[in-house]
Amino acid sequence: MADDKLLAEMQALRERIAGLTGAAVASRDGLIIREDIGDLDPDNMAALTATALAISQRLASEAGQGSLRETLTRNTGGYVAIYAVGTAAVLVLIGDEGLDITRLHRESRAAIDNIEALLT
Amino acid sequence: MTDVGAEEAAIGQLREAFTVCVAAGTTGVLQVTGDPGGAILFDRGHVIAVQTSGAPSPEVLLLRSKLVPESEWNAAFAAAAATGAPMSAELISRQLVGAGELEALLLAALADAVFVMASGTVDEYRAEPGLPDCELALEPGAEAAWLVAEASRRIRVLAAETSGHDRWIVAASGAVRPGVMLGGGQDEILALADGRRTARDIAFVLGRGVYATMLQLDRMRQAGLLSTVSSRPVTDADGGERGRGAAGGESDVAPGLPRRRQDRPSALRRPWAQGRASELRPPFSLLRPRSAWDGGGDQAP
Repeated sequence: MADDKLLAEMQALRERIAGLTGAAVASRDGLIIREDIGDLDPDNMAALTATALAISQRLASEAGQGSLRETLTRNTGGYVAIYAVGTAAVLVLIGDEGLDITRLHRESRAAIDNIEALLT
Repeated sequence: MTDVGAEEAAIGQLREAFTVCVAAGTTGVLQVTGDPGGAILFDRGHVIAVQTSGAPSPEVLLLRSKLVPESEWNAAFAAAAATGAPMSAELISRQLVGAGELEALLLAALADAVFVMASGTVDEYRAEPGLPDCELALEPGAEAAWLVAEASRRIRVLAAETSGHDRWIVAASGAVRPGVMLGGGQDEILALADGRRTARDIAFVLGRGVYATMLQLDRMRQAGLLSTVSSRPVTDADGGERGRGAAGGESDVAPGLPRRRQDRPSALRRPWAQGRASELRPPFSLLRPRSAWDGGGDQAP
């Protein structure tokens, strides 16, 4: 099942990246596709993630800085990273204060490609 | 069981690197690539800070434990940034934490971080001159030899336990009973033991050291309050579950919960686990000798 493979992909990311506490894939219109985010509300996260991606992409364009690679929000309790997955989906990764940012950058690209392939 | 060979190699690598940094009176950063890896900040051969994703930083320990309220931390940070004063001095002058208390916390964080790094794997290390900004540096720094010895002691203490620090923690069936408080921090741990967190993750949430957390988890496991997941389901091409990998019988977890592979596949084991450690030499010629820094003051230990 594509859903199980999506979940496996997200779980594999959590295994490889220290501090990654959750992941979810949502559609661009804010509907959850698959999630592994524990106690967080998946519907709220999906809606906010889609909105945040759209705003970030607009910001990148407005700033004349090309296409968006990643939106990384640093909070007192951790990080939220958002990535576009093709043109129809978005990936949100949630990490604690000790999130391995370096590994996140290294692993996220391949994960995005894998997820995009699973969704097509 | 933990990978004793890889851990012995990791601590051996760190011991070697620390020895050279101490002898050179290093002022710089020892970058350690591995799992979790990290950066060890040296000042004249003493360790003043460690940055790693594997253990809570002093900031996490202070904030998550509620020792320092977030609003007070933010105010202290802004003031320190405005004046250029160390964050530690700002916290002490605002009486948010005592000087002795902060020193003990910083040293504990250093020991915990080195322990976690020594418990993992070391791919390579490289010393870089110059110190970056560090919010909470231990001054004076800690003896590197003591940190390594303490890490080695902690690894030996944990060597007998079967639940390694990279396993998912799960509350045992019946461990949580409505209206019953266990005390001693056990209730908080049981609330977090949902199969999605490792000992490291729980340490971060609670604002405690990883080693102390592991000890408590082991005690709770022995008391039958917790179990660990050491294997992950193997799926076939259709996504169906074929079975589980080798495990110690620790499988009382509801289906659908994430799994973590306990041991790295042999293809991913680092060469030093196979005896190549002695071939590795960091470019320590990059390090600035202490005599060039202060005109030849106290000798490095």
